[in-house]
Amino acid sequence: MNSLVTSNIRQRPLRSTISVIGVALGVALVMLFTGLARGMSNDLQRRSSNLRGEIIFTRKGAIQLTSSSTNLSMKYVDRLRQIEGVEAVTPVIRYIYPSGSVGVDQIEGVEWSDFARMNNLQIAQGRGPEASDELVIDETKAKRNHPVGSSLKIFGDKLYRVVGIYTPESGARAKLTLASLQETLEAQGKCTYVLVKVKQSVDPIAVAKRIDQELPGNNVQLTRDVFTSVESSIPNLGIFLRVLVGLAAIISALVVMLAMYTTITERTREIGILKAMGASRSYIISEIEREALVISALGLVVGFILAVAAGFFIHKATGLIFEYGWLWALTAAMIGLVGGAVGAFYPAVRAANLDPVNALAYE
Amino acid sequence: MVRILKADNLEKTYRVGKVDVPALRGVSLSVERGEFVAVMGPSGCGKSTMLHLLGGLLTPTKGRIIIDGEDLTAASDAKRTDIRRRKIGFVFQRFNLFPTLTADGNLRLAERIQGNGGGDASRRREVLRLLRLEDKMHHKPLELSGGEQQRVALARAVITQPAIVLADEPTGNLDSDNSAIVLNMFQELNRQFNQTIIMITHNPEAAAACGRIIQMRDGHIV
Repeated sequence: MNSLVTSNIRQRPLRSTISVIGVALGVALVMLFTGLARGMSNDLQRRSSNLRGEIIFTRKGAIQLTSSSTNLSMKYVDRLRQIEGVEAVTPVIRYIYPSGSVGVDQIEGVEWSDFARMNNLQIAQGRGPEASDELVIDETKAKRNHPVGSSLKIFGDKLYRVVGIYTPESGARAKLTLASLQETLEAQGKCTYVLVKVKQSVDPIAVAKRIDQELPGNNVQLTRDVFTSVESSIPNLGIFLRVLVGLAAIISALVVMLAMYTTITERTREIGILKAMGASRSYIISEIEREALVISALGLVVGFILAVAAGFFIHKATGLIFEYGWLWALTAAMIGLVGGAVGAFYPAVRAANLDPVNALAYE
Repeated sequence: MVRILKADNLEKTYRVGKVDVPALRGVSLSVERGEFVAVMGPSGCGKSTMLHLLGGLLTPTKGRIIIDGEDLTAASDAKRTDIRRRKIGFVFQRFNLFPTLTADGNLRLAERIQGNGGGDASRRREVLRLLRLEDKMHHKPLELSGGEQQRVALARAVITQPAIVLADEPTGNLDSDNSAIVLNMFQELNRQFNQTIIMITHNPEAAAACGRIIQMRDGHIV
């Protein structure tokens, strides 16, 4: 296409590339942040959905997104077992600790055979944990260079041997014995929560109410409600994401505005020629807007590729999970395009308002 | 004869700081269709200002301009642009081609601005043949000689069949050989298409190629 728009973009490769990268960075930022929030949220929900116990019994505030407490007395295990409608119970310690790559990681202490039976976990390789320095991991963690027989460092320099790989993924990706974790945390006789499985054909809500009546002062929640989406668990995450989207839009608009403003200054004389040829104000504005939109569209494509590539490499390096949704992709696309169009508008109007004689005399 | 341009008592005063500087002091001019008119005069006598006024790039302080039956001075800025698009073709001393476009791209841009995206194929063939540009269409301006660039600029000015071509020293940047070629092209266009042309020039030989010569001095036609 032999048009001013495409020829200008080709003629000024550095300016065009910088503009495209500017838009791409805005788009990639939105995609990466929203993809990370969505990926981690979905991952958490996927894993928690594999817990077959319908009720979680805990002390109030014991389970947070990035912390947990081991403050529930084990005496509740037997008392829960006796409540009508309860089929099985199993205590769990959920321990969240700082991790070098991801920031935080979690580990669970369980009575393996009871926990595995309740949640239909199978040992795909090796065996369940028995000794205090043994643990089992899920297949996702195993893929990150942790085969059976390898060691994992937790709690500083303490080494744990991987003795088995279980499937499907459920809760924390690494599990050791409840006794081992109680001993390490010096929390004998304590756990974080008790997972309760109700009898078949019994309404879990009714059982939860019964537990609440019989053991008041504790927290009784349906499992499906505990591990809600990360987006709703982290206070103000939604606002943060929206602010990020707004910032990305502003960055895109500013980059395009700066690029187009520079272009208009460089091309003052050409605008004078256009005016001498009878180009209307709307024609000049539309030419500049079209150029900005082509740059923005290229920025979108590069931004999406950048986001997918960055997500892939970050996942490889840290295990963080990115899942990109159509809605956010559409939002990112709108940001790129609308940001570009808005950014180009002022330079375009300025160009359209140039005095033709002065513009023609511009050196 | 059909009158294509009539300018009555044109005045143009520029404001420089707090001082009014008169550039035109009552110029009247009438041009018939098919005329080839040269405008001569010393630098600063108001030639370019008059050309810009006739082309609707400037508005006069006083006076009236009628181009092909349309009053340029009474028109709004948008209307003046519209008249310029439909009725006027400009040729400049510095060619003023778009450097990023090929010769063909420059011509098509003029057609697109006129709202004729597809162009008039037969008109295009005729113009290119007349200006001997058929084999230069895919070259960018920097790949063309000065004379070739000015011929492309001329082709761009006439491709949309304007009522009048306004040329501001079109041979001013050319050597004598290329000046002669370009002047010859102006004459050919004038003869074969009955194209009305007003050309500013300092060159008496160029002026001699025109049918009429207007002399200007100190903002007046003398």
